[in-house]
Amino acid sequence: MTIPALDPFIDFIRSTRLSELFRNQVAWLWPLCESLHFVGLSLLIGAAGFFDLRLLGFMKGVPLRSAKRFVPWAMAGFAVNLLTGLIFFISQPQQYATNLAMWLKVLFLLVAGINAMLFETSYSDRLMALGPDAEMPFSAKVIGAVSLIAWFAVLYFGRMLPYLDPNPRSGV
Amino acid sequence: MQFFTWLQDTQFAHWVASDPSLLAYPTILTLHTVGMAIVVGTCAVVDLRLLGIGGDIPLAALGAAPRLVWAGFLINAATGLALFTTDAEHKATQTVFFVKLSLIFLALAVYARIRKLVFRSPAALAAPISSEVKALAILSLILWTGATVAGRLMAYLL
Repeated sequence: MTIPALDPFIDFIRSTRLSELFRNQVAWLWPLCESLHFVGLSLLIGAAGFFDLRLLGFMKGVPLRSAKRFVPWAMAGFAVNLLTGLIFFISQPQQYATNLAMWLKVLFLLVAGINAMLFETSYSDRLMALGPDAEMPFSAKVIGAVSLIAWFAVLYFGRMLPYLDPNPRSGV
Repeated sequence: MQFFTWLQDTQFAHWVASDPSLLAYPTILTLHTVGMAIVVGTCAVVDLRLLGIGGDIPLAALGAAPRLVWAGFLINAATGLALFTTDAEHKATQTVFFVKLSLIFLALAVYARIRKLVFRSPAALAAPISSEVKALAILSLILWTGATVAGRLMAYLL
């Protein structure tokens, strides 16, 4: 994609001291953040996926309340990836700001986030009261499926980012 | 070395490396990441449970974990071989690649040991988790983190 309207924004980010610092002065920062980003994604998908699979009705005998103990670990993985992702973006905004895959990734992040909020505000109390062997209602299965699909879509668009929408300004 | 030169020059290797289709290198690489998330994510959940997270989750309920680990491992063995062919001569001598393979081997050995000690023993499934198993769980988390980092660093180190 080319979005000329975003050029001033990209140039502003690139001109900040933080961006210059990330880009020019710490050679090991990018590989370090890439490594952490992959460790974070494994933790996030593992822990969130475990809870999602329980919502889908797998692992009968596990109380939903207990499965939820893994959600903070998913959030820890997400926090690592948000931080390292921001470092990527601030370092090389021209690789990301006009990349369609990047915005599809953000879209699915929003889907996952809104889905999780909907669970918390409208379904959590009722579902948590279910016995460990109870059949999961349809609403729980929908929330579990949406979450699982959204997180794998985030992974897909993140990993395919350099290939789906090769950027004319990348590698600056 | 001749073998790796030949491998790198097969039609298959050329297709993976340079076919313009998104189904070639990009999709194979992405599937490798999906497989990693499944293997490392599943092992991490099992390890954390053994270390006391979600302590009232019955261990027997984690019985599907080996199937997930196997599925992820098979995806990654297949996609990993395909990726290897594209750069066989170099990877065959790349230190960090052998570090990664060794860490994966050790992590799988630790996982097999945890399965034997806990998940294949009805007595252990019901008993409190031994300190040996807890140590193995910590070791597993360290080894999988190391394997993930080593894999990622293959793109940056010679």
